[in-house]
Amino acid sequence: MKKDLQQNLCDEASFNGFYTSYITNAKNFAYYKCGDSDNALDLAQEAFIKIWENCGKIDFTKAKTYLFTTINNLFLNKVKHQKVVLNYKNEYQGPDKTNLSPEFVLEEKEFKTKLQNAIADLTDGQREVFLLNRIDGKKYREIAEMLDISVKAVEKRMSGALKILKEKIPTL
Amino acid sequence: MKDEKQIHRWLNGEMTAQELEAFKATQDYTDYSAIAEYAADLEAPAVNKDDALADLKKRLADREKNKVIKPNFKGFYQAAAILIVLVVSSYFIFFNQSTTVKTKIAETTTTLLPDNSEVVLNAQSKIAYNEKKWKEQRELTLEGEAFFKVTKGSDFEVRTSAGEINVLGTQFNVKNRLNYFEVECFEGRVAVTYNNEEIILTRGNKYRVVNGRAEKIEGLLGTQPSWMMHESSFVAVPLEQVIAEIERQYDLTINASKVDTSALFTGSFTHDDKNIALQSVTIPLGLSYKIDGDKVELYNYEGE
Repeated sequence: MKKDLQQNLCDEASFNGFYTSYITNAKNFAYYKCGDSDNALDLAQEAFIKIWENCGKIDFTKAKTYLFTTINNLFLNKVKHQKVVLNYKNEYQGPDKTNLSPEFVLEEKEFKTKLQNAIADLTDGQREVFLLNRIDGKKYREIAEMLDISVKAVEKRMSGALKILKEKIPTL
Repeated sequence: MKDEKQIHRWLNGEMTAQELEAFKATQDYTDYSAIAEYAADLEAPAVNKDDALADLKKRLADREKNKVIKPNFKGFYQAAAILIVLVVSSYFIFFNQSTTVKTKIAETTTTLLPDNSEVVLNAQSKIAYNEKKWKEQRELTLEGEAFFKVTKGSDFEVRTSAGEINVLGTQFNVKNRLNYFEVECFEGRVAVTYNNEEIILTRGNKYRVVNGRAEKIEGLLGTQPSWMMHESSFVAVPLEQVIAEIERQYDLTINASKVDTSALFTGSFTHDDKNIALQSVTIPLGLSYKIDGDKVELYNYEGE
């Protein structure tokens, strides 16, 4: 099955399949790096173009890794670094929904802002791993595969990220 | 951070429900749960997959177009190579080109060569020489008839289809017509090479080859060929050669089919009046002629 796909990466239909499967991950990954939605899409698109142009040379099993590595390289080459501040999906009320005192709401608001800023202050490596795990729900193993690093390295980055976040944010 | 391994198992979703219950009682959970939960509520801007794919196709198409615009250095090199070839070849064509002087029917012209040697061309003749190389090599080619007055210097060479003439400094006439090759020496010494044989002509001598028969004639009168004084002189020359010369000097077409053109003619004709010229050639040979425009017919004179 995999072999078929490998042979077909140059085939438009199967390339489109590959694209649809990974565009969200690719763009999110780029977004965690550069913090700008348009730039992130540009990076992802360019990486896919490179895969399309080199479809014959890329082993399908490595295509995913190739995709993220390319985004990383393109990012390092062209995109101007800017502060990566993400927004919240909705007004999430926190783990304990019964505790809604005005005091708590205020504290929560403060917490959320601090979390945004603290995440922005993480290193690129820490941030992308942390957010891939938290937002995209990726397992460590998947992240390791995507970034072509070891699971141990992913763990290390996660620990580093948690440590920094904990230091900068008061417990809610 | 007390138990990193447990934290990672928690974040990686590896814990069983029981383990999770136990973990929730730990300090680690207290410390990190809010961070983990709230972070999960952050979002990356959503991607519309179909739009993104369409955008990708468009970018790929644009890229194809852009490829064409890339500077074509291959073409540039080709153009440069062609230009170099043109420049080099034009140097050889235009700068090394020989100078040519030509005369038409009934025309003579005097040319000064770069070393001040003088060439007088008789009618329907042509010389060609390389002006640039003249200093190193005094050499020219001749078709037809010309009188040379050569300035003293290095070897001076005249090449004709019949033979070569080499001199140092002298005056001589070369006549190279169809089946007729004649060199007359008016001053100095002239070396004529004909059929790989060298003949030295001294002043007043002439060498001629008519219809392949070579002869050396001594005793020339004058200091320059008669044609330079508007007259052509012949000594025992076949009539056909004389007719050819009249045609060259007067732009006439002479029909001599009714007469014997191998008859030898000795005498001369003027270049100034065609009737006198025709008479001076025909009468001594017992011939007559009819003239009609530029056409002349010769016939044997029978008298009345």
